[in-house]
Amino acid sequence: MTSLWRAVTCSAARSWPCQAQPRSLCTSPLVHVKKIVCAEEDGNLTIEGRIEPSPREGRVVSAHAGMCTCSLCQLNLNIKHTDVLILSQFLRSDGCMMPRRVTGVCRLQQRRVQQLVAMAQKAGLMPNLAPAWSKRDPKLRYGYRKFNKYFDESTIRDVRPFANLEARGGPPSVQ
Amino acid sequence: MSSMQRAKQWATFSRIWHIYDAKWQNPFESAKLIAAYLKGQHKPIYHPLSDCGDHVVVTNCREIALPGPEWYQRVFFHHTGYPKGGATWTLAWELHRKNPTMIMQRAVHRAVGGTLLRKPLMARLHLVADAEVPAELLRHVTSQMTQLRPQPRRLDSYTEQEVRDFPKVFDYPADYVVR
Repeated sequence: MTSLWRAVTCSAARSWPCQAQPRSLCTSPLVHVKKIVCAEEDGNLTIEGRIEPSPREGRVVSAHAGMCTCSLCQLNLNIKHTDVLILSQFLRSDGCMMPRRVTGVCRLQQRRVQQLVAMAQKAGLMPNLAPAWSKRDPKLRYGYRKFNKYFDESTIRDVRPFANLEARGGPPSVQ
Repeated sequence: MSSMQRAKQWATFSRIWHIYDAKWQNPFESAKLIAAYLKGQHKPIYHPLSDCGDHVVVTNCREIALPGPEWYQRVFFHHTGYPKGGATWTLAWELHRKNPTMIMQRAVHRAVGGTLLRKPLMARLHLVADAEVPAELLRHVTSQMTQLRPQPRRLDSYTEQEVRDFPKVFDYPADYVVR
């Protein structure tokens, strides 16, 4: 009886597909460093992938939860729409914004810079970064657009203005 | 009274002329400060019936700044007193185009309050649209009021070297064509 049951289970295991087997789940990060070992014995070459503990175990710096590594988040600056020297770095010579793959900042900071640039352009603070056919002088604009305008940065929906400030213990110093 | 005491008496009770540059300032926020100086509320001897207020000369009224969409959202109401079409609603930018000092004047008129003292206080307010102040006003001016908002600097006001040497937040990728 037992031998018959064993035979049935063996044949069943072979015929069943691989996804029936349970997958191993971990909640902590796994450290898997494989060491490839080649051993030749009596004409038999044995290539073995041995899983060994990592030499860096216990020395890895843990990032704070939610820390962004993009340049603007790391700088922790309260950029205003009047900081044209910073905002102009994100623009081409004709006033168009550079895409995120060029600037390298995170999605939220890119959106924030986009809105700050729009504010600065509406306020007429970067007239030299404009298309060649446009009126460069804000005073030549039509109607209400020729008059001075300022904006409130707090109207931008909270998109990480002071990233990681508490986690890092304050804004970084300029070297 | 000694000569020193007479000098102190004159210094305390004399009427001072202040000058305020309204360039890139919100007229309604500035009006609160200007109204306080017109009434004399900045003085320790203040009393509303003491007539201790000062003169204020406001320059660059043409260069005032309003936040965001306020140029086409703020409306100034006027009624001629006559029926049938006597009421007009004028947008802020239209009013500013016609008379560049009117928004500042309206703002101070409201900030000063609706009392009987309003007329003499408004008479001590002098509005100039541009930076050039007439000599008959400027010869009395002895004090300057500080601006409430910082004046923004335009990008073309910086030299090329200043823009080039300013610290950069990111570097271009290797395959980027600068244009």
